[in-house]
Amino acid sequence: MPFTRRTFLELLGASTAFAVTYSCSKAVPEPAEPAAMPVEVAGSKAKLYYADYTDWLLIHPDGSVTAHTGRVELGQGLTTVLSNIISQGLQLPPEAVKLVMGDTALCPDDGPTTGSAATRIVGWGYWRACDRIRAHLVERAAEVLGVPATELVYRDGGVVGRSRFDLRVGIGELVDGKVHLPAAEFVETYVSPQTYSDPGAANVNGEAIVTGTLRYTGDLFPGEVAYASWLLPEYHTQMTRLRAADLEGVARRPGVGHVQRFWNTAMVVGESYPTVERACAASGAKWKVPERSPELDVEAEIRAGAELHRTIEAHGDPEGVLARGRVVLRETYVTQYASQAPIETETAVAEVDGDRVTVWASTQAPFVSRGKVARQLGIPAENVHVIAMPVGGGFGAKGGTRAPQLAAEIARTSGRRVKVVFDRDRQFNSEARYKESVVADIASSVARDGRLLARTLDLYQDEGAGSTDTYDIPDVRTRLFRTPMPARHGVMRGTSFVQTCFAVESHTDVVAEAVGLDPVSFRKRNLAIDAFAPLLDACAERIGYGSRSLPDGHGIGFAICHHGGRQLGAVAAQVGVDRGTGVVRVERLEGAFDIGLVISRTTLVANTVGAMIWGLGFALFEEVRLDGHRSHVHHLSDYRIPRFSDVPPIEVSFHDNVVPNPIPRGCGELPTVPTIGAIANAVYAAVGLRFHTLPITPARVLAGLREL
Amino acid sequence: MATSFRLRVNGERVLVTADGDEPLLWVLRDRLGLTGTKFGCGEGECGACAVLINGEAYRSCMVPLSEVAPEDEVVTIEGLGRPGALSALQQAFIDHTAFGCGFCSPGMIVTAEALLRRNPAPEREQIIAAMDDNLCRCASYPAILKAIESAAAGRAGEEE
Repeated sequence: MPFTRRTFLELLGASTAFAVTYSCSKAVPEPAEPAAMPVEVAGSKAKLYYADYTDWLLIHPDGSVTAHTGRVELGQGLTTVLSNIISQGLQLPPEAVKLVMGDTALCPDDGPTTGSAATRIVGWGYWRACDRIRAHLVERAAEVLGVPATELVYRDGGVVGRSRFDLRVGIGELVDGKVHLPAAEFVETYVSPQTYSDPGAANVNGEAIVTGTLRYTGDLFPGEVAYASWLLPEYHTQMTRLRAADLEGVARRPGVGHVQRFWNTAMVVGESYPTVERACAASGAKWKVPERSPELDVEAEIRAGAELHRTIEAHGDPEGVLARGRVVLRETYVTQYASQAPIETETAVAEVDGDRVTVWASTQAPFVSRGKVARQLGIPAENVHVIAMPVGGGFGAKGGTRAPQLAAEIARTSGRRVKVVFDRDRQFNSEARYKESVVADIASSVARDGRLLARTLDLYQDEGAGSTDTYDIPDVRTRLFRTPMPARHGVMRGTSFVQTCFAVESHTDVVAEAVGLDPVSFRKRNLAIDAFAPLLDACAERIGYGSRSLPDGHGIGFAICHHGGRQLGAVAAQVGVDRGTGVVRVERLEGAFDIGLVISRTTLVANTVGAMIWGLGFALFEEVRLDGHRSHVHHLSDYRIPRFSDVPPIEVSFHDNVVPNPIPRGCGELPTVPTIGAIANAVYAAVGLRFHTLPITPARVLAGLREL
Repeated sequence: MATSFRLRVNGERVLVTADGDEPLLWVLRDRLGLTGTKFGCGEGECGACAVLINGEAYRSCMVPLSEVAPEDEVVTIEGLGRPGALSALQQAFIDHTAFGCGFCSPGMIVTAEALLRRNPAPEREQIIAAMDDNLCRCASYPAILKAIESAAAGRAGEEE
């Protein structure tokens, strides 16, 4: 006799006798109370969003399951990670696990997909949920089968007798829908009774990706949408206003259906993407903009408005030690404005039905998008349904995307289903959410034996600082100065860890040289976290540091970085500098990362190698140049990102020495960060040029070589 | 002004009514529903919209509809293989995880397909030269190179 919910209720008599209830079999889980809770995590200022995922896993009668998360597939491999975890956690074949991601009507608000945290928070949350569900199902089966739970064991998507092979009941027979368990708090170092091992499976979206059948936002409703775009201000600032434009002429163009003033510009709706883009370009728009000196000295402007925001760390008397020190190094490092430049530009589709709106979007934060759309339309958030589609690269650009608001507003006023697809210029400049330029003043005092004695670090920026406590220094002061930035800024892969690490790790090499120590020995002598040492050794050995001599113009550099003490990385870079052209070529990258349990090596390697190439781009090429309110970057040809021919051999290794109990600790952004400092340090090793600004362009190299 | 154009796409004859200056990219995506060909920049600078025309890779965002002749063979990513019936090159991309988000992958695969038809056994430097104007912001470049090399090795094996 197959077990059904009805037979169970009959078997159980009264379900109230047990701490178990059954949800009816429906696609949507009942929202848990609270649906998702921000939790404080020790050592972290940021709030983590976490859901008790036992509430978000549905078990179906056929033994398959559906898991829900508000986090999104960005290409980082979250779909594969969650599929691996849940299929192994419940011992089910991968095809029995279905994921629903980023749908605000179906999923918990368990946080935006940022901060390299999805595997740790959602992935490990589901692993723990699977542990609890397995234990619960054994208890359930014991009641149903009339056998002590101690004689039963969970195996392969069901519960079986330890010694009686005739006893077996599948999970789909035990539960129909959601398992209701008491709410579980987030536990940072959760110890699992079951061991996870990476199945080495391919990316679950692979077949759809290579056949062009994975549907991104822009692929929805072909031929069944209107397109909308807007007159693009020639200035990146939000303060610009449309002074004049031939909006009537725009409206008369064939294929244009609707033109309206909106925000500081005008929106154009038409039958096709080319129609609206050409209409916008032909508007003859003139813009007014507040006065500003065309020559923008970013460093001077950042310093001028700075106010002390927070003292991040303060021990002892670093100023006194620096004043008395015998070997004291004082430097300033400045990083550039940069752009995320995903290949898929920001895209959204919106459809309004009465006072409700559905938005399909390329967004890293569907619940944030929902709130923005609700505010834009002046309707309650529950009337807004955001469906996050697979994102064609986010890198921070799609955390605060405005495409959903624009599409929703125009869908409402035009009465059409509207698709908004940013063109490349709009992607670079309309939101003006560049990675911010950061000024870092750093000073160190070091003993002749190579022990760091004191350090002061003042960071001038708007975001929080990256990790500054890589080294064990007795007297230290780290301060964050906030300043009105010359241009609006946003989040970009690695956030401010990038700028902080570039300054600290470049400076570390300067200090090491001042006391005649090599970069590896000096770092190992001063480490705050011992687990960095094997990472440095691994990189040094693999790149042949010290064991082979390099020709003139070539050099090896190192850098290390950690993210909240739970993700550690070391990178070694070998570069060659052409003294005639000034061109820097990265010849080899070695990365070693202590990031805990590996859930999917397949996706982890892909992501890590890509992240290191990001570091290469930031170190050597990428910069948004600004003149006053004008950006110099409008096309991909204005913004050099890494290409095939830039990429050296790259090797990566993964380690787990920080926490004895292995948990996945995340690795999405970390590898970018030390790669930048390692390349800058390698350039110094190659030709003796210390760069205090990025990117390290041929012109800067040639200018530097002339001054040597 | 809208005109009718006869095209041959993925082996099928189709009739499209559109302005002759409409880029082939948007004809494929919105008029024919072939959304595997991606819009990345609309300026011929990223390669996400690459399609084969008579076996050569073109950036469909830069090809006006009126320049495609009725006898031209247009092949998009959908014409190279489909789920359950992948080409060896597509399979190699999966085997090497030669993508992150996958948005540039159709253009990468189409461009590599054109290379391998022209030169079935390319050296690594030739692959890099042929692919260098295709951008991947996830920077899956090393894996893409390996995937193309392994697909090329497979083709060479078949021919022997």
